[in-house]
This record gives sequence, C-alpha cells and structure tokens, in this order.
Amino acid sequence: MYSFTYTRAKSLAEARAMLAKDHDAKLLSGGMTLIPTLKQRLASPSQLIDISRLAELRGIADKGDCVEIGAATRHVETSRSDVVRQKIPALAHLASQIGDPQVRNRGTMGGSVANNDPVADYPAAVLGLGAIVKTSQREIAADNFFKGMFETALEAGEIVTGFSYPVPKRAAYAKFPHPVSGYAMAGSFVADTGAGIRVAIVGAGPGVFRWKEAEAALSKSFSVAALKGLAMPSAGLSNDLHATAEYRANLVEVMTRRAVASLTGEK
Amino acid sequence: MSTEFKGRREDRRLITGTGRYTADWNQPGQLYAVFLRSDRAHARILSVDTAAASAIPGVHAIMTGDDADIAAMKNPPSNVTWEGRGGMKMNQPDRPVMARGKVLYVGEPVAMVVAQSAHAAQDAAEAIVVDYEDLPAVIDLEEALAPGAPQLHQSVPGNLPFDYEWGDPARVAEIFSAAAHVVRLKHVDQRLVGNPMEPKAFLAVYDATRDIYDVWSSTQGMTMMKGSLAATTGVPPQKIRVHAQDVGGGFGIRSNAYPEYCAVFAAARRTGKPVKWVATRAECFVSDWHGRDFVMSGEMAFDRDGRILAARYDWIAAMGAYCSPTGANVHTLTPATTSVGTYAMAAVHGRIRCALTNTTSVTAYRGAGRPDIAYMVERLVDEAALQLGIDPIELRRKNFISKDAFPYTTPNKVTYDSGDYAGMLEDVIKVSDWSGFEKRRSESKARGKLRGIGLAVFVEPSGGGRGTDPNQAMIKFGSSGNIELFSIAGPTGQGHETVFPEIVGRELGIDPSLITARIGDPDGPPLTGLGTIGSRSMIHHGSASMLAAREVIRKGMDHAARELEVAAQDVEYAQGNYRIKGTDRAISLVNLAKKLGGVAGVHPLDAGAGMAHTSAFPGGAHVAEVEIDPATGVTEVLKYYAVDDCGNIVNHTLLEGQMHGGIMQGAGQVFGEHGMYDKESGQLLTGSFMDYFMPKAGLLRDIYLGDHPMPSPTNPLGVKGAGEAGTTGALPTLMNAILNALRPAGVTHLDMPATPSRVWEALRKAR
Repeated sequence: MYSFTYTRAKSLAEARAMLAKDHDAKLLSGGMTLIPTLKQRLASPSQLIDISRLAELRGIADKGDCVEIGAATRHVETSRSDVVRQKIPALAHLASQIGDPQVRNRGTMGGSVANNDPVADYPAAVLGLGAIVKTSQREIAADNFFKGMFETALEAGEIVTGFSYPVPKRAAYAKFPHPVSGYAMAGSFVADTGAGIRVAIVGAGPGVFRWKEAEAALSKSFSVAALKGLAMPSAGLSNDLHATAEYRANLVEVMTRRAVASLTGEK
Repeated sequence: MSTEFKGRREDRRLITGTGRYTADWNQPGQLYAVFLRSDRAHARILSVDTAAASAIPGVHAIMTGDDADIAAMKNPPSNVTWEGRGGMKMNQPDRPVMARGKVLYVGEPVAMVVAQSAHAAQDAAEAIVVDYEDLPAVIDLEEALAPGAPQLHQSVPGNLPFDYEWGDPARVAEIFSAAAHVVRLKHVDQRLVGNPMEPKAFLAVYDATRDIYDVWSSTQGMTMMKGSLAATTGVPPQKIRVHAQDVGGGFGIRSNAYPEYCAVFAAARRTGKPVKWVATRAECFVSDWHGRDFVMSGEMAFDRDGRILAARYDWIAAMGAYCSPTGANVHTLTPATTSVGTYAMAAVHGRIRCALTNTTSVTAYRGAGRPDIAYMVERLVDEAALQLGIDPIELRRKNFISKDAFPYTTPNKVTYDSGDYAGMLEDVIKVSDWSGFEKRRSESKARGKLRGIGLAVFVEPSGGGRGTDPNQAMIKFGSSGNIELFSIAGPTGQGHETVFPEIVGRELGIDPSLITARIGDPDGPPLTGLGTIGSRSMIHHGSASMLAAREVIRKGMDHAARELEVAAQDVEYAQGNYRIKGTDRAISLVNLAKKLGGVAGVHPLDAGAGMAHTSAFPGGAHVAEVEIDPATGVTEVLKYYAVDDCGNIVNHTLLEGQMHGGIMQGAGQVFGEHGMYDKESGQLLTGSFMDYFMPKAGLLRDIYLGDHPMPSPTNPLGVKGAGEAGTTGALPTLMNAILNALRPAGVTHLDMPATPSRVWEALRKAR
C-alpha cells in the first residue's frame, strides 16, 4: 500500500465536496475491490473518502411496485432482507451467491455496480430488472448505465446513492461460478417484468449485456422449450486461459435455460 | 494396536489462534527485508542503480548478487551422485543467491533492501532501477531440449543437466518387438504451485558476541534447514539455531533454505540487527519451488493372454531455470523406483531427461515422482484393458505381484518389502459395489449425466531421503520423574507431538500424558537425521522414539535390581514397572527415575536411539465414482474409496488425516491446479488465487478409508509411510473414473486438470 489519508465522510454533501476538490481521491464503500488493489500497490489515491456508513446511502424500502435499496447496503443485508426476499427473491438469491461470507458482510451494492466488473453479479440484476440507478445528481436507467468493462455512465465526482428495482412478475438468476475465483463465469438474470421479458448476462463477456434473442423467444413463450435451438454467439465473449469463448457461450445458454426452468418447473 | 484418539496436543493452540508461525515472531529493533524480483523470463542485467533507493529514509542496506557476502555463497552440491545415461554425471548449473549478470525466470531475486520498516523497504525496492537486455526465453519442455533452443546456462549444454536411464533397454526392445500387443500413452502432468497456507518467511538474529545465528523459519526439519543454510552461507551448522514452533504446511517445498533465507541471514550479520522477511502471497507463487511438470510417454507390452511383459518410459522432467536441491533426484529416481507398479513383468526400461526452462525451480511436492509414475502405469493398464477387451479388474488380477512373493525384487532391482495388491483390490471392489456400477450408470444416464468409475492399484516408496547419519530420538528424565522426548522430525500438521509420546508411552507401559514431546527444540540434544520428507517420519522418527524407550527400559534394569535388592536377571519389566519375577515386589519406572535423580541435567536413565535410513512400500487400491454434467463439464465426485496398506497403524485418526489430505491434494491436481506460464513472455499466468485453483472441502465430500495393513519388516514399528499415498492413488483413480465416464461419449484422451471447460471442450470435440 502507498500512503493516503482516510476520511469518514459525515454526509453525502461533504463527500461530494471533498471529491470535487481532489481529483486523486477515491470513494471507499465496502472496499472489496479497492482494498486488494491498494494492497498490491496498483493504485495510489491521495485520499479515501469512506461513504459506507452514510445513513443517506443505507436501507431497504418497500415502495409497492418497486424496492429501493441504498448504495451502501451490504450484500448480506440484501440477501436477508424480508422485503427483498418477498418482492424480488431472485435479487436476494443473487446477493447470497456473491463471493464468500466475508465479502458479503462488507461489500456493497453501490460499490459493485459502480465498479461494473464484467464478472460481478449485481449488474445482472440491475440490467435484468431494468432498475434505476440513483446518483448524487440524477437518475440513470440501467439500459443507459453500463458502458462496457469497468465503464459506466457515472461522471467524475458523481456518487451512486441507491437503486430502484421494479418488482417483476417473476425473475431468476442462475450463475456458473468460476471454479477458481468464484466470480460469475456466466450468470443469467431472467425477468418477466411489466415492461416485457429481460435477460441480462454477466461473466461471459466484457461487460453485462442483454441477450435480446432470448428475450424475444421467451416473450413468445416463457419456457425452456422456447430457448431450444437458440445459440448464443461466441464472438465477442471472453476467451482466456480458463475457458474458451465457445464454452462461455454454452454456459450462457445453459444458465439461461436453468433460470427459466427454476421459474417454470421444467426440467 | 492403534491408540484410542483423545485429540491432538497441538490442537488447543492451533484452534484457539495461539499457534505461532514464522511471521508471529519478532525481535526488538528488527529490520525488514524486501526483495526486488525479475519481471522478465530471461535477460542480461546491464546495470542495477540503487542510488535513489539508498536515499530513502530508513534504508539500512541494499544487497545484490554481486555484493561480496552474497557472491561468496555457494550453491549446495546436487544430491544426485549416481550416473545417468551413458555414464552422464549430474551437471548442476550454479545458482546464485541473487541474480548475477542474468535473470533466468520471472520472480528471481535481483536485489534485497533492508530498512527500518517493511513499507520503507518496499518503497526502496521500487526505486531500484534495473536495466535489462531481453534474451529469448524457453518455457516448453520439449522445445527446451530441441536443437537451437535458447540456452540458459553456458555450463549446461542443451539445457540438459541430467539424463537418467534405468532398466534393461535391449531386453525391453526385444520384448516389445515380439509382443502380441503394445499400448502407448502420452500425458502432460502439469506444473503445480505448492501453496502452503503459511507464506515463506525468515527472521535472522546474529549474536556477534557468541557468533551464533538464531533463525525462525517454517521448515520440515531443523537439521535440513541448518544443513542447507550452512552449505550455502559457509557458516558451520553448529552455529545456527533453528526455531520453528508451528509450520503452516510443507508438502516438500519447505525442506531446504531458499536463496532469500541466505540473503536475510547475511543481512543480519551485515547490519548487526535482527532482519525479518515475510513473503507476500504473490511472491510465494513465483518463488516457492513448484511441483510435478512432466511430459510423459509410456508403453506397455502384453502377450496374447493379457500378461504384462514389459514397460518402457520416455519422460521429460522440468527443473526450472536452476535445479532445486532435490528436483533432479526425486523426478528421476523416484518414478523409476516403482516403474513396474504392482505388476510382475520381465523387464522395464525408462529414460527421464531433466530440462531447464525459464521458469521457477521444481522440487519435491507431495508425492514427488510417485503420483506421476502411478498415474502413467495405471492409465496404461486401464487403456490396455480397453484395447484388449479384458475387464480392468481381471487384467490387474492376472498381473499382480503375488502376496507370497515378498520381499520382491523388481526387474530394476528394487526390493518391495511387503504387500497384498490382489487382497486390497478385492476389498475395494467389494466395498465400492463395483459390480453394481452399470446399473448406477444407467440411472445417471436417465438424468442426462455421464457416470464413471475408476480404479488404481499402486505402490510407492516411503522413507525418502538418504543419508549416512541415523535418525535419532532421545528420552530425558527430569527430577520429578517426568519424561521428555526429543525429536528432530519437522512436523507440518502430522500430529507428531501427539503420536510420538503415544509410541513411547505404549513401549514403556505408561500414560503418554506423562511424556512431553520436544520436537525441533534448538536447546535439545544434538540429534542427527533428516526431517519430515518422503513419508518417512513414522518409519524413522517413530521407530527411533520406540527404540529410545526400549533403551530406557534396558538402562533401568540394573538400577531397578539394585533398588529391589536382587540380581538383574531376576527383574522383568512390564506395564511401567520393574518387578521381581514371580512376585508382587516392584518399582515403577517413574519412581525409579525420581529416586535416581540426575546430576547437572544428566539422568542415569536418559537414553537415545537411532534408526538407520530405510524404505518401506505402502500401497493402495482406490476406486472413485464420478458423475459429469455434459452441459457444463462439471464433474462431481460421488464417492471415493481408498483401501490402503500403510503397514501397522499407530494412530488411526492421524492416519486418516494424512490419507484425506493426500487424496484431496491429488484431487486438486486432477480438477484444477495448474501452474501455467505464458510461452512468449514467461510470466506465470496463474499467479494468484484468482487464477490458481485450490481444492475446497466440497470437492470430495465422501471418502471411505479401509485398512489392509501388511506390516513392514524394515522397521521395528512395522509401519509404512502414509503422507503421500493418498495423492499417489488419487491421480490415476480419478482420471480413470473421468475417462470411464467420458468414453461412451467418444472421448478417448484427456489431460489433467479436468476443469469443467476442458471436459466440455473434450466432449464437444468428440461429438
């Protein structure tokens, strides 16, 4: 680690002001990506502004047709929340599958989504459910938020404050964990929402994306049978020492089928 | 004969977080060392500029390979003292403690900074500017031995430090040319990173007034650590005191002094202050010596009836950029030792070429040549069963060395002490319901799954490590009659602190809780022998403890006779008491010891004993049943059955621990571990736990262990090694099971590791 100053922000306004003044400052939420990066001396921020305890960023609220979750909400809180389990069980299930107990006890939804790691789980739920990302200055629709590997629509100094998830008719997340790291090698979030069927894929490509062909097929008939013969193209998917793009494409198909099967009861 | 398990003495401190590993020790005023390592695979060092680094506040010293104290250190001679092919002598390249003139692998230490804080040392290490001129690197084993390959060492032409050959080439060639059937296989036995939970660390204190070095380090044995430190630094071993209370995993890669230890050792002397170094996990990945890494071809000749006539091997073994102290030894001689497996055959011939590549050195790693040869032999036998259309059980039964043939001398002149391979096979096929498998396969098929069953019957040498000095233990008595057992075994989780006193207690007929084990105590008597390597501790240190106890009884006889006022021949010893034969007049050993007292720390009943180096041949018959999901390539191990002959069993629970750990470590290699280098850049691609697979408990949820002990005549306990047998059996057993599952889908070949993606790709290609 290189030296830096640490400040626990007292309010969102203070965090914003500090961030505006120092372009080398970084926000610290759960720190599940940032701290290992610092320990390996791969980043040298001038200061860390800790926003993980800001009351403005915390809490889970049932708003009827949507569930609002603060950005600093920890994975364990999301996975155990009665509201989330009742209204969007797929989201609670997804949160329970992230990392390990240590990660789930510290990592936050806002941190994960803002980081937009292509193998992280939360972006699948945000995009799959068509959630709204709330920031310190605006609201961004999920479809406009994710911009590719570790890239988002967030501007310098903009802080994710929370999320608004529309409650779907039904939704499921199926994940194939990387045998080494436990991150998603492929994860498919399938949601039957008021605005139609959405299928969001993480892990397999350079960023979260919607599998439009699967959405179209499932719109006609929400069943595993409808996906039969539908191939995920491997072009553009990740190809590395752990798995070929073809294998990942196959996993996308398998995980999507399994997500649908868990909702329809098919085999 | 096994003792009832009442817990391990080690566990109170280990499970309450009060164990002390190397990094837990500190000395007042200590400095911290950090190493700058090569970030390239092969390059000339044009210059090392330390000016900016030296100016950083808190920096006490910066040393490089050219520093006089470091340059004067010597590479210990190879322990390969026998001749290779055509009389070739081991040609070990010189290994500097830190790079001199050239770097030969990513991770090679180039400079060491010693500073007031680890932070300052790290800052300074980053401020060192090294100017390199890149040279072509070679990573692939076959390419390294090919003409025109980049040469690593001028002194080692062809990157071939040793070319080992065993057996009878002419006879084997003759048999093969006339054989009815020949089976051939080529496998890659991938490189592994050992990854003990405790990272490498070293703390050195030099006391100039006494001219003594106190060092703290994780080690598999104080004498090995002392000996290798002495051989490199030139400081005599009696001036080095090694401290190691708890060691977080050894597996072969914590046996000897690493180059970094020697550099820290020199820094303690140079600065006059204690110097501490704790490696990061990333450093351990590139600088802990690696394991395995062979390209192996093998063939087996059969007659018309399926009888094995001969076997022939042609392997290349990775050495890394330099030879580790035991790499060339255990990767040639050890696989050769059991190259006929458990089978009676007329002849064997093998050749293993050791190859230098621009990679981290390779050394003994749990199994150290044993899993590798067992994998080759048992894959060949399974392949033969398929090709010859003979049931794999039948084929093995037909060819086993029979139970009454022991001691059995193999065609390559190795003597197996005892064994019952056919008996173990019968045990395991019964317990695993082998005959009911096809029904279970159909049931899986109905669920869309591929089920497979695999078998391996293996034998391996245990007792590893040669040496002329006996392995000694000593029992000393305190003034209250308390007993202390001194041993130089280097436990890394085996439970020696518990089991050695049990052996002594049983021999003396007294409660083991009265006996304290002092293992690896630098203040103990100067005992000789090796540490905990090569599945040898119970054979050697266990037996030495037992012999020392017998010596105590013998020594006490005259004293007891005097106390009882009879002649010595009228006294007998049983259950902790010296007794006048045929009477109830007796004195207990403890009371005798109390009465005798001691003078100046020496007690009349103190006794030591030594166990000469020997080897025993444990074996096993293992069966695994697996189920593969063809959609994802995920393999689930449904059940693992291991029937083993580890000789007499001293403590069953500790034996189970060794077997479970060994099997799991084998499963790690089978299912994912892979030290993978980029062939162009020579970077270790799997250099963190984000990329390097480690087996987790869920991988093997159900292990059945069965005993089939055949006592070894080679040692008084009648034991055989147990530390590596599980790993040796697991590789062929699990891979045979996986291939058995995949065969109906058309897959005929698969190398380890059988990761989901590789299994799926194999299925896709077979479609």
